[in-house]
Amino acid sequence: MSDFTAIIPIVIIVLSGCAALIAEAFRQRGERMPIAGFGLIGLAGAALASVFLWGSDAQSFGVVRSDNFALFINLVLCVVGVLTMLFSDEIVEREQLPPGEYYALTLFAISGMMLMAAATDLLVIFLALEVLSLSVYVLTGIRRSSAAGAEAAFKYFLLGAFSSAFFLYGVAFAFALSGSTRLDELGAVLSSQGAGPPSTMALLAVGLLVVGFAFKISAVPFHMWTPDAYEGAPTIVTAFMSTGVKAAAFAAFVRVFLSPLEPLQDQWIPVLVVIAAATMILGTVVGVVQSNIKRMLAYSSIAHAGYLLLGLIATTSTGKAAVLFYLLAYAVSNLGALGIVALLGTAQHEHDELRDFAGLSKSRPGLAALMTVFLLSLGGFPPMAGFIGKWYIFSAAVERGHYWLAIIGVLTSVVSVFFYLRIVVMMYMTDGSDVVRPRVPLPAAAGLALASGAVIYLGILPTKIIDLALDSISTIF
Amino acid sequence: MPRVPFATTDMLSLIVFLPLAGAILALLAGGRGDRPEREPLVRNIALATSLLTFAATLVLWWRFDPASADYQFMETHAWMPMFGIQYLIGVDGISLFLLVLTGFLTPLALLSSWESVHKSVKLFSFFVLALETAMLGVFVSIDLFLFYIFWDAMLIPMYFLIGIWGYERRIYAAVKFILYTMAGSVLMLIAIIGLAWAHAEASGTGTPSFNLLDLYGLALSDQMESWFFLAFAVAFAIKVPLFPFHTWLPDAHVEAPTAGSVILAGVLLKMGTYGLLRFAFPLFPGAALAMAPIIALLAVIGIIYGALVAMVQPDLKKLVAYSSVSHLGFVVLGLCAMNLQGVQGSLYQMLNHGVSTGGLFMIVGMLSDRRHTRLISEFGGLKAVAPRLVAAFLVVTLSSIALPGLNGFVGEFLILVGAFRWSPTLTALAATGVILSAVYMLWMFQRVNYGPITNEKNRTMPDLTPREWALVVPTIAMAILMGVVPGMFLRPMEPSVSRLIERVTANQPVRVRLDDRRTVNPEPRIATRDPRPATREPRP
Repeated sequence: MSDFTAIIPIVIIVLSGCAALIAEAFRQRGERMPIAGFGLIGLAGAALASVFLWGSDAQSFGVVRSDNFALFINLVLCVVGVLTMLFSDEIVEREQLPPGEYYALTLFAISGMMLMAAATDLLVIFLALEVLSLSVYVLTGIRRSSAAGAEAAFKYFLLGAFSSAFFLYGVAFAFALSGSTRLDELGAVLSSQGAGPPSTMALLAVGLLVVGFAFKISAVPFHMWTPDAYEGAPTIVTAFMSTGVKAAAFAAFVRVFLSPLEPLQDQWIPVLVVIAAATMILGTVVGVVQSNIKRMLAYSSIAHAGYLLLGLIATTSTGKAAVLFYLLAYAVSNLGALGIVALLGTAQHEHDELRDFAGLSKSRPGLAALMTVFLLSLGGFPPMAGFIGKWYIFSAAVERGHYWLAIIGVLTSVVSVFFYLRIVVMMYMTDGSDVVRPRVPLPAAAGLALASGAVIYLGILPTKIIDLALDSISTIF
Repeated sequence: MPRVPFATTDMLSLIVFLPLAGAILALLAGGRGDRPEREPLVRNIALATSLLTFAATLVLWWRFDPASADYQFMETHAWMPMFGIQYLIGVDGISLFLLVLTGFLTPLALLSSWESVHKSVKLFSFFVLALETAMLGVFVSIDLFLFYIFWDAMLIPMYFLIGIWGYERRIYAAVKFILYTMAGSVLMLIAIIGLAWAHAEASGTGTPSFNLLDLYGLALSDQMESWFFLAFAVAFAIKVPLFPFHTWLPDAHVEAPTAGSVILAGVLLKMGTYGLLRFAFPLFPGAALAMAPIIALLAVIGIIYGALVAMVQPDLKKLVAYSSVSHLGFVVLGLCAMNLQGVQGSLYQMLNHGVSTGGLFMIVGMLSDRRHTRLISEFGGLKAVAPRLVAAFLVVTLSSIALPGLNGFVGEFLILVGAFRWSPTLTALAATGVILSAVYMLWMFQRVNYGPITNEKNRTMPDLTPREWALVVPTIAMAILMGVVPGMFLRPMEPSVSRLIERVTANQPVRVRLDDRRTVNPEPRIATRDPRPATREPRP
């Protein structure tokens, strides 16, 4: 029985996903069922379980470990999930998405993400990766009538399958190297090799794993799928995958590279330095010329992956904690911003072009103000969460002497401010288009309140969460 | 008069966050949607808050112990102890009057846009007051992290003020303003972080510190010191703005609404010189003194260039904007001299510039409210139609060109005295700026106010309204007060300034004059507290 302790949060999520599917079976055609409620209950349960497990360092079957690191990611994912559920209620109805499938897939994806963060075996990481990827592929194309959605899903699927193959190949080399896919045994073999140049096998394993992870976090040059997938997917799915997938992939990335592969850091750090710099630069520079907000935020999410990589490159405890904090700060800011874009859409038109936001401050002053808060947070302005996140990340980079990366980081964030502000300019300084603005229902309003509250709380009083992040990295590595 | 520093109370925090509270109140009072009938209520709340804040800064001045060089009214709260970040604020002789200036100008700024701003007044009031909190926060922060937060947070309200309530090219100006300023300040952020980690290494505790008082005197390698100084200096130079980083300023000034211009010129530009004085010079004295000649040279170029460009401007606001480039050049020159007269003069000139250029922008705002144009050629002969307005205009103009007896003279004189002891050549060049400023200002004044009325539309121009009297009278009173009794302001500054100069010049080889490296010119300690007689007596 104790073997199951570590996976309780994951099991709860899977069960709530199944409940959503069953509920769908009993749903009359056209009936509106509060299926999101199952998700919310499941997420609350998983969050509660994570809180109870805090500090217990429970392990299951030797391949899943719910240490504080995984539990912190669980909490981030629960926040992502809850916000997604709250926003989805209205959107699923409006877009006529199949609610049972939508919620079940979202919840299964979350279970995969949680498993990915907690897995201590390369094969389990791969399994988790597939669980979440398959769910997300389907979610991307869930608007069956939309050609753009189908294209996006197909593109995402093909490239994703390709990258999964890279990852699996990397796992194979790691197995050949150590005779095991478990992280601790791999780490033991690598550190016992001592000084001297690493074997070709080790280099191949590291290289292929980097490719696999870089694809999932959409780092340059493996980012090609991101703008298309983000633009083609329903906005709420974009919000979900840009935050959730990133959190899970980064968690596994950190766990694999900063623990068993740490002895090889002289080999992979230079590679990641180049990737990080390219990711930050390309994400922002290309973001500047976008006129579609979803695409713009897709490029911005690429840039944010670059910032997160700085924390990984730092390899210090500051860096790891910074990654955790940044993931949370980014999740609430980006979900908030994309959530508003999603809520402003109508059944006929998504209203995701920049000009659709003209004059929003007149017709919807509240939404415009919240959007500004989220965008300023993404741009890294105090007193928002994004500022503390960036400061923390750059702080980690500077601590290790990566001044140049930090300088690229801050300069690209200035450039990114330019395109975030383009939206603000539209909302506040341009006269309105006569777009119909749908009403914001209560659950979505609660979600926005939660997200903006979190953005400001994390920006002004981040100490508690930073303490938590520092606590969660101290138990491993 | 008992002067007890109330170190235990939260007085300073109250002053800093009072405007923010008023801002939120004004926003709530505005109600949902467009409610024109609530406008007077919102305006009055905003004005009352800003006046209350001004009164509070005066109380601060009252209770301030002028004999002490230490920070007073200090407050410390743990914030992020794992990084050595504290909520640490305090006031010394350097920041005291900048707080008073901020308090003084904000109500005037609100009043100056009383009739020209009608588009969402609640948001306007909110942003002006939020901006005041951020500005006050910058001046009181002793923790570098806290300072940076206020510094950056300041950009957002200003961006909205320019972008929503500005003139035709407001969006361009707003975006340029925010990007320029940010580009400089993010590099400073890196330097701040680097400094904190360097402290962690040097102290052996492994915990960084952002406390300015810990970081003063931190030993850095020469290379690191130079880089960090450069990062700080560029951030502040953009804000000042020092030539050649000044190109955002004319756009921002011209496009901003009157309230925005007043605050921008009056307070925001001082952030740059304040930052140089408080952070860049004392944190990196070696690099600062080594680079001071270059900075001073840029300042002098700015003085002359700004003046020459101002001379040919057809637009009143642009003229005043370029005159700011010129005047702020004097401030930077005085700082670079790093002697008591130079630095005190700079500090004094910061206040002067706030009062007189703020005043000029208000007057230009009155003219443009009346005529909806700011072109000099559209005016002419106003003296005959609006004599009181023109009289006020005259006093403010004279204070800007530093007529003895008005505020500008004291600051410029002190700066020139201080700078002369350091570098007669640069001072001589800078002094031409004094003449040039008289040229462009008086010429502008003449074209606007004297001569025959060339434009029929000016014939019906009304004179000062009661609201405008309320703008003009305090400004002029302040200009005269600062011109006649400078000791009142200089005395509380002196201990802090002296300590700061000591901090910068200590451990450095005795400073020689820039032009003559053979003559050693040690810093003479001024024994008497009285300002130099020359500054005291207004010449007839």
